[in-house]
Amino acid sequence: MMNDAKTLGDEVRVWLAEHWDAESRRAKSGGSLAEWMDQVVAAGWAVPSWPAEWWGRGLDKKSVSLIVNEFRKVGAPGAGQDRTNITANSVMQFGNDALKQKIIPEFLTGRASQCLLYSEPGAGSDLAAVRTRADLQGDHYLVTGQKVWTSGAQNADYGLLIARTDWDVPKHEGLSFFIIEMRQPGIEVRPINQITGDSHFNEVFLDGAVVPVENRVGDEGQGWKVMQTALAVERLVMGDGAGERRQGSSKNNVVSLIDIARETGKINDPVARQEIAQAMAYRKLNALNMLRAKQEMAQGSASPIMSLGKLAMSRILHEDARIMTKLMGAASMLDGPEHSLAADVNYRTANAYMTSIGGGTDQIQRNIIGERVLGLPRETEADRNVPFRESRAVTG
Amino acid sequence: MRESFRRLLAEKCAETDIRRVMASPGGHDADLWQAMANLGIVSLLVPEEFDGIGAGAVEMEEIMEEAGAALLAGPLLPSAFIAASLVSLSDDADAKARLLPAIASGQTIATVAFTGDTGTWSLTDISVTARPQGNVWVLEGEASFLLSANLADVLLVFARTPDGVGCFEVDPSKVQISPLVSWDPSLRMSKIALSETQAVRIAGVDSITFEQLIEIAVVALAGEQAGACRRIFDITVEYLKTRVQFGRPIGGFQAIKHMAADLLIEVESATSAARSAALALATDAPDKDVLISLAAFACADAFSQVAAASIQMHGGIAFTWEHPAHLYLRRARADAQLFGQSDAYRERFVAAMEKAA
Repeated sequence: MMNDAKTLGDEVRVWLAEHWDAESRRAKSGGSLAEWMDQVVAAGWAVPSWPAEWWGRGLDKKSVSLIVNEFRKVGAPGAGQDRTNITANSVMQFGNDALKQKIIPEFLTGRASQCLLYSEPGAGSDLAAVRTRADLQGDHYLVTGQKVWTSGAQNADYGLLIARTDWDVPKHEGLSFFIIEMRQPGIEVRPINQITGDSHFNEVFLDGAVVPVENRVGDEGQGWKVMQTALAVERLVMGDGAGERRQGSSKNNVVSLIDIARETGKINDPVARQEIAQAMAYRKLNALNMLRAKQEMAQGSASPIMSLGKLAMSRILHEDARIMTKLMGAASMLDGPEHSLAADVNYRTANAYMTSIGGGTDQIQRNIIGERVLGLPRETEADRNVPFRESRAVTG
Repeated sequence: MRESFRRLLAEKCAETDIRRVMASPGGHDADLWQAMANLGIVSLLVPEEFDGIGAGAVEMEEIMEEAGAALLAGPLLPSAFIAASLVSLSDDADAKARLLPAIASGQTIATVAFTGDTGTWSLTDISVTARPQGNVWVLEGEASFLLSANLADVLLVFARTPDGVGCFEVDPSKVQISPLVSWDPSLRMSKIALSETQAVRIAGVDSITFEQLIEIAVVALAGEQAGACRRIFDITVEYLKTRVQFGRPIGGFQAIKHMAADLLIEVESATSAARSAALALATDAPDKDVLISLAAFACADAFSQVAAASIQMHGGIAFTWEHPAHLYLRRARADAQLFGQSDAYRERFVAAMEKAA
């Protein structure tokens, strides 16, 4: 085992030395990022745990970590997408061979981008209550409905779509999962104006949009299961270093609690210092938790800690904003370019909800942790065993 | 070693054992202590040249997680970890040769007097004074919150001297030791009064050694808190799955389930904080101050919060003396005071972060 690991490490290092210039952080052959990714995919580094006939090398988790680490050391992108690429993983696990051949290379090389067509106005926390319909017409489905909270919809090539194909079975059982082309007449994208003033998200209106049968991922009725797999990949990506990356969501990312306390003359106020310490501690503790989770996962054991990251981050961001507001005092009522510090704190206050609501509210997150990590009993659902057509989601 | 220690504790430090030892006059299980010595737990931090294992803070923290989970009381922390560390940190070859092998074997129990009545474990809190008299030193004053002094063969007493803070080896029989009634019945705490007490100075212990000793004590205690916090949480989650009300297990109710999810963050954070502080201490990392002060308050607060919530989540059953939840609350409240309060460490943490900013 030790020897294998050493040999594999050597192989990756040799390959990288031949193909990647660590200094300029570019492929030695020059060319675009996608062309570099072509080389990574061809060498089997992109998805090492997949079988050799599907761009992989049939390696175990530990070996993937080893490969990813070697790539990280020299700043080379593209390795280990079997852990991170949402579309490629869903298609690989559930798609038919034709779809795999067509879609996966586009995504592994970064030539195609996706958006997520999951939430609807009537299906937020209760995601299985989607009412967008996909009706089979010969060799394709016609999709009609409304999706919401879709980021990147304007630029996406494909949408990962969950839609209802059967209305006469309970809500989870009548769903199917599709990869739909976004650039077509039946799809209209409208930006949402957020409480922050930003427009990261969109509404997507589907009116007779077309998706070929071969773009269905998994069987009809398997959509919920496929989406869970996609969500698991997404959560892993989000939890991984979520802390520091999300900090950058502030408009001008220069302020820290200590900076603001200095600027507002409260740095020596013992009460303020206690609050600042606690808020900074939450952030530091989350970073230490994520570090430990990564170490545990690198050793091959699944870590439950990862699932705590989002909930922890939500508290961090709301607490930061609350304490910053307190430090600012009356000035926090102000806004605009002439008071950029207040504007930043105000932005953080509103934007913290992106984490405490987006991707599952804190309350849903607590259900998930309670049920999946701690093994507590599931929530009761009034419509769990009712044909969807008869549920309150439809009858009102 | 951690595995063997866990098995030993499962066998000899179960709840019934804890309650038996708790009710005994000495608050000490000599058989368990001997078994721990045989495993090398007692000699863990003693250097190899003095018959010890020569391990460091990381191993100490792991052992303390297990000890905390089992609510082990007695001389492990004060003698094997704190007193042994103090002697090791000194420059006193005689004291090392005399004390370390004896502490390592478990035959000698030592404890450190390093706070006065205010219980802040800070240099300013030292209220014993020492003056030279011929070849010996004479000590005067009081110290408090000594752990396991009732069992001690050696007292190591911090005192003010004409040349700064020093430490002295004192024969317990020459000191008035008054037991303190502790709310955590598993702990044995004492106050000592010294009057014209002759003592031997331990060479090479000063105010820097004092701060180093506090770091070790804090990391050990953080391990205990992290381990204890996880155990009472696990006990509580198990109960949530079996206690049925309104026709279903109470863990299915969001009011309870959401409390549990929030507490899990505290439990995992305590573990991460304690372990990273131990690693920082062992490697003398540049962010050692940040991580040790963080562990001090994060672990204390997590254990306090989880132990308190566990009683609420259990309901009436945990309001009875027979249920173990209150034993964890008692330990959590004591641990939250030992070696300094959370507020003091939050201040140290923010000061260290400020320096780095």
